[in-house]
Amino acid sequence: MEVSHSPFPVTRRPFTISSTSGDSVEIIFEVVGRGTEILAETEEGQSLRLLGPLGCGYRLNPGNWLLIGGGLGAAGFPGLAASIDCGLVLLGAASRDRLLTIPGFETVTITEDGSSGRKGLITDLLESVQWDSFSSIALCGPVPMMKAVIGMMPAEARANAQVSAEARMGCGWGACEGCSVPKAGGGFLKCCSDGPVFSVDSIDWERWEGIHHG
Amino acid sequence: MDKTHKWTLWNREFNSPILLASGTAGFGLELMEQGFLEGAAAVISKATTLKPLVGNPPPRIIETRFGLLNSIGLANPGVDEVLRTVLPEAAGLPVPLIVNVAGETVEEFPAVIERLEESPVQFGYEVNVSCPNVAAGGIAFGASPEIVERISTLVKRVSSRPFSVKLTPNEGSIVESAKAAEAGGADAVTVCNTFLGMKVDWRTGKALLKRNVGGYSSPALLPLTVARVFITREAIKIPVLASGGVNRAEDILELLAAGAAMVQVGTWLMRRPDAAFELRKGVINLLKEPVRQ
Repeated sequence: MEVSHSPFPVTRRPFTISSTSGDSVEIIFEVVGRGTEILAETEEGQSLRLLGPLGCGYRLNPGNWLLIGGGLGAAGFPGLAASIDCGLVLLGAASRDRLLTIPGFETVTITEDGSSGRKGLITDLLESVQWDSFSSIALCGPVPMMKAVIGMMPAEARANAQVSAEARMGCGWGACEGCSVPKAGGGFLKCCSDGPVFSVDSIDWERWEGIHHG
Repeated sequence: MDKTHKWTLWNREFNSPILLASGTAGFGLELMEQGFLEGAAAVISKATTLKPLVGNPPPRIIETRFGLLNSIGLANPGVDEVLRTVLPEAAGLPVPLIVNVAGETVEEFPAVIERLEESPVQFGYEVNVSCPNVAAGGIAFGASPEIVERISTLVKRVSSRPFSVKLTPNEGSIVESAKAAEAGGADAVTVCNTFLGMKVDWRTGKALLKRNVGGYSSPALLPLTVARVFITREAIKIPVLASGGVNRAEDILELLAAGAAMVQVGTWLMRRPDAAFELRKGVINLLKEPVRQ
């Protein structure tokens, strides 16, 4: 999305489409930098240039799904949950105002300050998960959170898990090689066109630091 | 095709003065799929090197207040793979392809081009002398007119196709480098490349790019390109391909007026993949306007 009519910021900002209905798309975002700050100032009726949809989304496998989201990482879950057989949604966030809702699906929440659901981290919710009752897992959130979640997954669950990655992007369509995510076994994946959704095991988690906001 | 507006490069006529700059268009294949090559005279490929390069660790792109820093690290599959899979596919491009070549040593440039000569696909080459010369401790090849001339001479010897030498604005004299490229037999010079830039987080004291410094590009750099095109054009007879700061049709006409034969669009292509179409349309419309004194 072009957040500004001015040449600056120069590049577009990448967003997950949260859901679609008719001729509209919903995008949920958090102000984390200058691009999203400008976007947040957009007024109703104003037009913005949008290029998309780009890249590869979740593989919508049949069977029971578990969705695990950290903060705004869950932005893509409303559309995903509606497209699959969604058994359970686990959402964690720093506080209630950064917690998304996925209406119509069984959801358990946890917040760091206890303002919604239990007080704690998303990993605290995982202790009671019956991993073998889910045939697919979707995971999205900050990289440290995703690393912690993956660390708790049994190997079989991990093999069925897909993550939606983020990176600083240039073009968004596979040409500039700007949005690299470390690839398991060496080299890099292009977040924009190889992903942004990847199987957990295709990423080299040791080398991946995610985005430094600020 | 517009009969009145023509631009010429290497004895070939084009209905557009726009080249897609190296690194921002891949090999043109993604843009072709979407029909976005319309309006472009030619595509300049991302850098091709002798061996595959995985590129630099992320982040590779940092946006600053008025421009973009990149540290891609010439990520590319290497000349063998480019010959085997990429160029055969690029044979289907609706516009000519200019292959950009980079190297870590002087000898690597002619070595890559000698291999590329096996392919009938490309129209010409762009030789990137802005990359670091490993044997000289990492100073850009382009910093030394002697080395620029040497690379140009070696490339001329193995190439059956025309080539442009892409000069660096960061080290040495761009005019002396342009003269050296011409003396070595180059068929054009590209003026110029990204400017060395850096972003530091003052709170941590750390650079945001893992390699500390990267290449800076921005629409705000246009006057720097205009000046370099102008002073270079005065010193040489071979064509100057302008590169840097273009995001409007007026910018293209300004660079042509300053002496460029063709004008590259790079960073702006990341924002507008259909930039060539829109900018060419803008150029033609502006040229149709009655001349004002």
